[in-house]
Amino acid sequence: MAVTTYSGAEQYNFDIVKKFAVMSLIWAVVGMFVGVYIASELAWPFLNFDSPYFSFGRFRPVHTSAVIFGFGGSALFATSYYVVQRTCQTRLISDGMASFTFWGWQTIIVTAALSYVMGYSQGREYAEMEWPIDLLIEVVWVTYLILFVGTIMRRKQPHIYVANWFYLAFILATALLHTFNNLAMPVDLFSMKSYSLFAGTQDAMTQWWYGHNAVGFFLTAAFLGMMYYFVPKQAGRPIYSYRLSIVHFWALGFMYMWVGAHHLHWTALPDWTSSLAAAFSILLLMPSWGGMINGIMTLSGAWDKMRTDPIMRFMIVALSFYGMSTFEGPMMSLKEVNALSHYTDWTVGHVHSGALGWVAMISFGSLYHMIPKLWDTKMYSQKLIEWHFWLATIGIVLYIVAMWISGITQGLMWRSFDEFGNLQYSFAESVAAMMPFYAMRAIGGMFFLSGAVLMLFNSLMTIRQAKQENAVLEAKLAAKLARA
Amino acid sequence: MSEQKLQSQTVQTTGHAWDGDLQEYNNPLPVWWVYTFYATFVFAIVYWVIYPSWPFGKGWIGGLSDISYVNSAGETKTHSWNTRALYLEDMNQAAAAQKPYFDKVQSMSYEQISRDPEITAFILSSGKALFADNCAACHQAGGQGVVGFFPNLTDDDWLYGGSYEKIHQTLVDGRRGYMPSFSEVLSAEQIGDLANYVAGLSGIPHDAAKAKAGDVLFHSETAACYYCHGADAKGRKEVGAPNLTDGIWLWAGVAAAPSSEGKVAAIRNVISTGLAKGVMPAWGGRLSPEQIKVLTVYVHDLGGGL
Repeated sequence: MAVTTYSGAEQYNFDIVKKFAVMSLIWAVVGMFVGVYIASELAWPFLNFDSPYFSFGRFRPVHTSAVIFGFGGSALFATSYYVVQRTCQTRLISDGMASFTFWGWQTIIVTAALSYVMGYSQGREYAEMEWPIDLLIEVVWVTYLILFVGTIMRRKQPHIYVANWFYLAFILATALLHTFNNLAMPVDLFSMKSYSLFAGTQDAMTQWWYGHNAVGFFLTAAFLGMMYYFVPKQAGRPIYSYRLSIVHFWALGFMYMWVGAHHLHWTALPDWTSSLAAAFSILLLMPSWGGMINGIMTLSGAWDKMRTDPIMRFMIVALSFYGMSTFEGPMMSLKEVNALSHYTDWTVGHVHSGALGWVAMISFGSLYHMIPKLWDTKMYSQKLIEWHFWLATIGIVLYIVAMWISGITQGLMWRSFDEFGNLQYSFAESVAAMMPFYAMRAIGGMFFLSGAVLMLFNSLMTIRQAKQENAVLEAKLAAKLARA
Repeated sequence: MSEQKLQSQTVQTTGHAWDGDLQEYNNPLPVWWVYTFYATFVFAIVYWVIYPSWPFGKGWIGGLSDISYVNSAGETKTHSWNTRALYLEDMNQAAAAQKPYFDKVQSMSYEQISRDPEITAFILSSGKALFADNCAACHQAGGQGVVGFFPNLTDDDWLYGGSYEKIHQTLVDGRRGYMPSFSEVLSAEQIGDLANYVAGLSGIPHDAAKAKAGDVLFHSETAACYYCHGADAKGRKEVGAPNLTDGIWLWAGVAAAPSSEGKVAAIRNVISTGLAKGVMPAWGGRLSPEQIKVLTVYVHDLGGGL
């Protein structure tokens, strides 16, 4: 058993991890700001300023791409490069390829955001990027895959650590999903516009096969990988059950691929397809919970740290929200529940309980663990981490509660009949009823965003502090050398 | 912690370690997790039995749950569960609940309806949704209209008449409001005279000398305003020409103009450019006769009259 834990550029490529970690925080602030802005547009429509460039329709993909691919994606690149090197005890196989994934990925986010504001979109949720950007993603992603697999193959450990299985599943599945969902024919070589190779309901099916597995592999499996490294590290305890990790890994991977059609209940999609997906969504409940159980049980025995360690609190709250939203999801995928929830804000609330509660919180916790290690110092302010935790938690609760009430109200208003068998409400009345909840949601978002701003500040100050410490050390060393 | 000690004594790790201290216990799968996982399989199978599920041959397994509905030809059809049949069944049920009321609406005269509180209550309820879904986009949620675009339905000023019969006709056939442009027929001065005259009809401060010239012009064959608006300028409902003496302005932005000069200018604009945008679509082919009747009573209740 090797127990060498020394770090440094000579053993690992930490430079790439640092770059992605900083960009992850910057994209978090940018993406969440745009999110707060579009949430405010819904509550106070004058914010559209009657300009297409400010409209909800163009800003919304800017928000989703910046938080999912910018913040989430960069956090995944950062942590996966960190984890794969440390658990395989080997350096990434190529610094050049790593650097290419960094610049490539940042170019993708920036060009995607610009193209949305200019009005270019494939109209596919979470895959709005037009074909030239899709091609760049393909190249970057394959480079990532080669780099990751190559590094695992060069490992100095006989066994592959569980976090790496999840990261690898995420990279492989995302390559597959991205490729097939973006099969499209450009109008011409110099046009941004393209047309999908699929038509009608097949096109919708392909899109939601992608859409739900983007949630499954990008936003779940990958962040479980993050969880499997950073939770036991932070708790200082072994993973609860190796067996559970194997069983839920394969069950999760197998079940997820079937469930995309539950996004298309009550549409032109054949009924058998969507009920098949609904049943597989129920089957997915326990495999999802396997990850939550393994995380929470790993923390058990270190519960005292919950009082003293805000990073631990981020992780336990993340796991709790993961458990809650993976319970809520299968419920919403049942046809009769979906009849109430479909097309309402409940869906938006569900996505955000996963996105803010699980994805963002586990990323915050992991980055707080990783940043001081990367720069070989302590976090600038422990107090700001505490503040961030409470701002984020209050923000999520406001957001989700607002969307639950608003979504269920919408669903009930749309289906309510009076004693004469007439529809009781017009659509416009249901829109008017949403106003207070839209305001509440925007305020929840502001809380969450403020937390992210504190984190960016805290991290930048940490990096500055590390540089100062380093300078002092070097000065001492130079003085010593001069005396000698 | 005793539990922790117990665990580490009884459960071994897998014996691997990564990155210094990363290890894994070899705990068995939690029993409740395993049984709940089995239970979800039972649930899935039951779900597949009830609903259409797996593709099979050229079709699919329909499931045990059936839906019956009556189609537009009046035939009862039974089908394995599907979204479209369920929609038709739901619509059948709603239509069945509404039918006795719609039948009464259809058989009663407007006079009878106005004296029947139960049917009036039904019309207020169904008319609200019908109005919101079909009319409110132009006439606004409360029927108050938009100056310069869509008439106010809540005042007692009716371009084509506010009786039940006239509202019914407006709904079925639609309307096309039109006023010719006078900018090529009349001089700017003449148009100014007319505007001052029309302003004076509803008590807007104006130039009396010009108004006098406008009065003559209004009733002359040169401008011929009286053809449509009538010699008394109180409008002619047969052609949808508005009353110019009641101080209600649909097209001219009179209310919004802060000064009396602005108000006269707003009237001058309409005379000069004319109007061709007063289009009310025909609903005869889009709504059922019962629905039109319901809307007629609903709109009449908003501000109907003669």
